[in-house]
Amino acid sequence: MDLAALEKQLRTLQADAATRISAAASTADLDELGSSLLGKRGAITEILRGIGALPADDRPKIGVVANEVRAAIDASVNARRVALSAGELLERIERERVDATTPGPAPRLGSLHPIPETIAAIAEIMSSFGFVVSEGQEIEDDVTNFQLLNIPEDHPSRDLWDTLYLQEPGRLLRTHTSPGQIRTMQAGGAPIRVILPGRCFRYEAVDASHGFEFHQVEGLLVDRGATLADLKGILDELAKGLFGSAARTRFRPGYYPFTEPSVAVDVSWPGSKDGWMTILGAGMVHPVVLENGGIDPETHQGFAFGLGVERIAMLRHDIPDLRAFLENDLRFLAGFR
Amino acid sequence: MKIPLSWLREFTDVQLTAEQLAEALTLRGLEVRGVERWGANWSKMVVGELLEVGPHPKADRLQLTKVRIGDGPILNIVCGARNIAAGQRIPVALVGAQMPDGRQIERAEKMGVASEGMLCSGQELDATDDGDGILILDPSAPLGVPLVDYLGEDVIDVDVKPNRGDLLSILGLAREVGAITGAPVAYAARPLKEGGDAVAAGLALRVADEALAPHVVLRVVDGLNVAASPDRVQMRLKAAGLRSISNVVDATNYIMLELGKPTHAFDRAKVGDTVQIRLAKKGESLETLDHEVRSLDATDLVVADDRTALALAGVMGGASSEVTPSTTSVIIESAIFAPTSVRRTAQRHSLRSEASHRFERGQERRLAVLGADQVAALLTEWAGGVARSGRLVSGAEEVPAATLNFRPARVRALLGVALTDDEQVALLGTIGISAEAAADATKIVVTPKRSLSVAKGSARSVRVPSWRSDLEIEADLAEEVARLYGYERIPTSIPSADLPPHRPSPTLLRDRVRRLLADAGLHEVVTHALVSAAQAELWSEPTALVTGSLAASEGAAGGASIVLKNPLSADHDRLRQSLLPSLLDRVDANLRYGATSGAIFEVGRGYGSTKGVPSEWTRLAIAVWGEREQGAPSAGATTWNLDELKRLLAQVAHLVGERPAYGASIDSAVLHPGINAGITGDRFAGLLGELHPASPTWRDEPRVLLAEVAIAGLRSGRLDVAQVSLPPTTPPVTRDIALLIPAATTVGHVVDVARKSVSRATAVELFDLFAGAPLAPGERSAGLRFTFQPSATGADDEAITVELAAFEGAVLRACGARIRGVEGQ
Repeated sequence: MDLAALEKQLRTLQADAATRISAAASTADLDELGSSLLGKRGAITEILRGIGALPADDRPKIGVVANEVRAAIDASVNARRVALSAGELLERIERERVDATTPGPAPRLGSLHPIPETIAAIAEIMSSFGFVVSEGQEIEDDVTNFQLLNIPEDHPSRDLWDTLYLQEPGRLLRTHTSPGQIRTMQAGGAPIRVILPGRCFRYEAVDASHGFEFHQVEGLLVDRGATLADLKGILDELAKGLFGSAARTRFRPGYYPFTEPSVAVDVSWPGSKDGWMTILGAGMVHPVVLENGGIDPETHQGFAFGLGVERIAMLRHDIPDLRAFLENDLRFLAGFR
Repeated sequence: MKIPLSWLREFTDVQLTAEQLAEALTLRGLEVRGVERWGANWSKMVVGELLEVGPHPKADRLQLTKVRIGDGPILNIVCGARNIAAGQRIPVALVGAQMPDGRQIERAEKMGVASEGMLCSGQELDATDDGDGILILDPSAPLGVPLVDYLGEDVIDVDVKPNRGDLLSILGLAREVGAITGAPVAYAARPLKEGGDAVAAGLALRVADEALAPHVVLRVVDGLNVAASPDRVQMRLKAAGLRSISNVVDATNYIMLELGKPTHAFDRAKVGDTVQIRLAKKGESLETLDHEVRSLDATDLVVADDRTALALAGVMGGASSEVTPSTTSVIIESAIFAPTSVRRTAQRHSLRSEASHRFERGQERRLAVLGADQVAALLTEWAGGVARSGRLVSGAEEVPAATLNFRPARVRALLGVALTDDEQVALLGTIGISAEAAADATKIVVTPKRSLSVAKGSARSVRVPSWRSDLEIEADLAEEVARLYGYERIPTSIPSADLPPHRPSPTLLRDRVRRLLADAGLHEVVTHALVSAAQAELWSEPTALVTGSLAASEGAAGGASIVLKNPLSADHDRLRQSLLPSLLDRVDANLRYGATSGAIFEVGRGYGSTKGVPSEWTRLAIAVWGEREQGAPSAGATTWNLDELKRLLAQVAHLVGERPAYGASIDSAVLHPGINAGITGDRFAGLLGELHPASPTWRDEPRVLLAEVAIAGLRSGRLDVAQVSLPPTTPPVTRDIALLIPAATTVGHVVDVARKSVSRATAVELFDLFAGAPLAPGERSAGLRFTFQPSATGADDEAITVELAAFEGAVLRACGARIRGVEGQ
């Protein structure tokens, strides 16, 4: 085989390849064709096996030709690929087309109950003033639920709480979260900043605003210098946190045996329906209660407050009847996303 | 306490409107329940004057009247009453008026004569009890003015708190009003003219127990004519919310409202010659005024004569000595009784009266004499009575005036307000707490148990009025200063004192669990802790499930059901032990509301009692039924099943770093005996299954699945900080082992053995489970996939092989399961 014959073979291959490349129907065919021409065991490689028979002077010459042919074939394969893949992409797009305007499956609609969520909202607001959550027991004794809170046996103030008693003498279901004040003071001593949320029970007929099971959040702060002015400041912030920064508070004297002075707190906010709404009771911790909690009322003072979670949730969510909270109708609950 | 303002004005000048007064009282701590205009329901009724009264041509029982109602036309009105005469002023209901009972007044023909309205009786106006005659008004009544403007009354209803018994009176409220307005308050006692015999002639008083009746006063009034009270009295009592009975009984009620002093009138003729105040005798009984025969307890204090009990002291009178129309002479009993004794008796007999309400709250000592005298004065005025001279008295009339010291600096420190010493004393003075000139005021009462001495000059002294027995300690005076100054004038601040050390919230894990479940599509519920006996019997958690440290942190279920002594109803008469009955109750309700699918959960407490010691535990309970989620249109819906519930539980358990291990089935009244499992673990334990087909809530479709678990930290725990090692660059490898499990072995057991014996595996999952031909009945083919993380050198490859081989031996021994093949890379 001489130089001319080899060159001719390469040129023929080039011409033949051009025809076949332009005839390739798909990129897959083209890829196959490309490797059959240019691959390790491809046609060009095959032809160049004859190079060994050439004189040494001719070998570089045929190398130049082979590179030209390889480059030309490579260029036409690439050109053809561009042309083919544009078409194939369009075809693929059409083949895969769906109607993506369907509404999609319904979301998983879970919800968190407004009572624990309202408690969480109160806890969140109070945490910014250093109050931490603590939870007490629901089965209480008469001593802690009443007597240590300055509500003696046979005192008319007991009429403020209609009580569910257990068969065990002296035991009852807590009528308020206030016994937590005593237990907190006895457990740790001052300083104290704590909120005590939880379930309470009363002997009470059920209607739109009363239930025999309900929830309260108690708050207690005891240190060496807290004042009635501090009580006003903190509870004003709590009201604004719950009912918006435009909410206004009104503080007036109230009566609770375990606070002195006692305070009733009303709130009003843009959009509230009935003017002033009473949302909580509060006061400076009664010296007798501090004493019963093991804290010296001469060196320490503080304030406590208690609010009804159902009432706050009703006002915040505009719910007219608290029975809905224990009814747990899924259609109602689905409103609390 | 309902306060007609005209009555209040007898003791102090009130220029404020009822609404202004209500607002001012509320800001002083006297909560006003409401303000009403008594008589507001007298629409189109005016004051008229009878010009002529003449006979009706056709009916003897009717009369024809001509009535002037101001400048308008003269009205012709037919009237059936006999007590009318020309010149009288009377209430006229005009055509179009609606009577309090709803009757409409129309132009009407009465026996052939047109009637243009109606003359009204007190009963028709719902103002007095007199239904026979027309209500004759004072000749000065202004003609033509609406009746409500003349006879109507503004009434303020005050919610009196238990510590302020002194405010259960018009006079007491007048003192508070005077402190607001600055106007003087005065009580002008009615002068009493005595006559006839001395009280002591023929009547003796013997008080057996002076501790329970420290002060008793008796008076006798003779010559009585028992009849209806004057119209104005009846109307005033009605406006104050009391029913008129007779002039004698009304006199005692009138003074009770005016002074806050309950008294009782006994028919003198029905009482022997000795009035005794003593404890009831064993076996004694008494018919009270409400005609209930009550068997008395030996701790009930009674008013008696020498033969029998006549009244429950301070609570209610007896029927045998009741004042009747034939009564001509009465004994007025006006006493101070021990509050606790009255309260216990009233409670024991479920007999709360206006009197017991006041006695329970304590009575001012000096009111005993004043009350007896004022009732007697009213009886002479209203019933023509003659008060016998003198009184029978037991015990001291007065108690020494109390003084109380306080430190103005301490008040400033408590209130956070800069009021000078003198300003504080002046504020107290406005409510009758007068300054005492005690230069050596040094004793401070901090609490009833704790007094201390302070330096001379640092405290001020005040005299506590006899009606303010609620003022006992320094803090009580601080409250009065704040109240009289006005809470609205106290500044607001934020406490700056020492903060307690940080403690994590006990709800950290609970909130994570709740959010996880809500995100998974479940609705949180809050259900009753109080359930019925039937609900409680439906379930009790096997105590063996939650043990060890998990039981210690979350509470161990068990013991007896806690039953209420005074339940509201049998539906809620005991505390639940499990949350599931309450949850099922809500599943049932939602099925009734048409929720064919649903998923709910609750984090709540169970309660039990062991040897009389109550305990509470915290659990998560889940109930799911029907479709888990609405599928895509092409795919269809997926239904809740055991595996989906387990996926949920595994996600929850993952929060405490545990994988639920399902073990032996639970013997339970609430779970399907064939579709349930117990869950055991150190940090996550409980049970799950399908609802028992015998349960009242069960139905063929949809099936209900349940779970109740204890989770370490649900009650008060914090979230553990995860300890994580960086993974090597080598990819994980898996080995799949196929096993044949005999009928007698649970898959849960096999998986448990796999997890325990192949400690190098980072995960062991069941990826295939098959039963049926060609396998033997009950036999199952299971595929377990073990995932391993080889070290970077791959040197532990052999160890893995050894462990797997050990597993193959163990599973054959422990479970009788044979290995069918091993695959892996």
